[in-house]
Amino acid sequence: MVLLLLCLAILFIFRDHPRMTAVQRGAVDVVAFTSNIVLAPFDAWDRLLESMQSRPALQDEVLRLQQENRVLRGQAQRLASLLSENARYKALLNSARDIEDELIAAQISSVSPDPARHLVMLDKGAADGVREGQPVLGAEGLIGQIVLAGEYNSRALLITDSAHALPVQVNRSGLRAIAEGSGDIDRLVIRHLAATTDIRAGDLLVTSGLGGRFPHGYPVARVTDVEIAAGDAFAVVSAAPTSALDRGRHVLLVAQSSQFEAAAAP
Amino acid sequence: MTRAHAVWVIYASLVGALLFTLLPLPMDWRGLRPDLVALALFYWILALPHRVGVATAFVVGVAQDLIEGAPLGLSSPGLMLATLLLLYNYQRIRQFDLLQQSLAILGLMLLSSGVEQWLRNGIDVPVAPWAGVGGMICSMLFWVPIRTLLRYSRRYYEVY
Repeated sequence: MVLLLLCLAILFIFRDHPRMTAVQRGAVDVVAFTSNIVLAPFDAWDRLLESMQSRPALQDEVLRLQQENRVLRGQAQRLASLLSENARYKALLNSARDIEDELIAAQISSVSPDPARHLVMLDKGAADGVREGQPVLGAEGLIGQIVLAGEYNSRALLITDSAHALPVQVNRSGLRAIAEGSGDIDRLVIRHLAATTDIRAGDLLVTSGLGGRFPHGYPVARVTDVEIAAGDAFAVVSAAPTSALDRGRHVLLVAQSSQFEAAAAP
Repeated sequence: MTRAHAVWVIYASLVGALLFTLLPLPMDWRGLRPDLVALALFYWILALPHRVGVATAFVVGVAQDLIEGAPLGLSSPGLMLATLLLLYNYQRIRQFDLLQQSLAILGLMLLSSGVEQWLRNGIDVPVAPWAGVGGMICSMLFWVPIRTLLRYSRRYYEVY
């Protein structure tokens, strides 16, 4: 009975108490450590398969990566000129200058066993500069944010978790909206958009930077479907995240830029 | 009440079941993972009600929350209520045949996860619709092997 009351008290009153969070942060490292031990045989098997790849396959891979690198470098040249141009305009407008975001590379080491959540464990923690609230990027766009940062590991909440929502902007029209997670790994939902709004399938959603948590301009999702029921005031917009959230292990954490902090300060 | 003997087997099996939840599964299949932790806990309550009880259920629940990254205290109340029910009825359930036992275990799982879902709604933690049911049916199918395994180890190590 006492324990039951204790549970309820913890849940309803002390859920966000600093001591509780401290316990959870500590547990992040312990759980990550144990799960790494449990996963070690699987990792070893993967490495074994990797080391047995044939030479031609590796050569193909290198060739492909070199080509990709060339293309990206070409794009980066344009980006550099655009950035400097943009900086000049911003200087003209007398506003804070963008400073490039710093990135921390991390790997997803495991997924939370709770089927209702989209929580993943990352192998970088506070000791590597990870802070709670930091955005997490996949190869093709934003995938989530850090919710608990342990010392050497951290937990990230993916954008498709049904407790997650983030402010986005339609890249084409500049329209702002809130993209909520749906609980499905490949779907985000925008509710409360007037049925007459200009949004259509194929539109790219990028972070809008409102709310001060995610920096402006990272791709999030592509609209797949706009559903307008006759007589409804609001359209229901579905979007698919640009990054495949259930594939790939490598992610980037954005260490926040000064422009962003300036925007977050009142 | 006799002196405890080889109680470590109990804790080892519970820890083993907790480690099982760390094994990787594809994102959409996680709901089908049998809840070996609850099964092991229920077995030990049935077998040794004087050793394993509500306090153990509480600790196990907290460990589960820490592993899942859920708010602390989310899975404990359900497990504790199921434990209490089992403690009142263990003599009856011991007499059941395996099918009846499996069904009783399914009922206990329904109770404990029902309480958990209800708490989740209370504090706005997402609930997966129907995800729990598949997992519970898988768990029920695992009752007989888990029971056999734990019973064997209980007799082998002479746990009491």
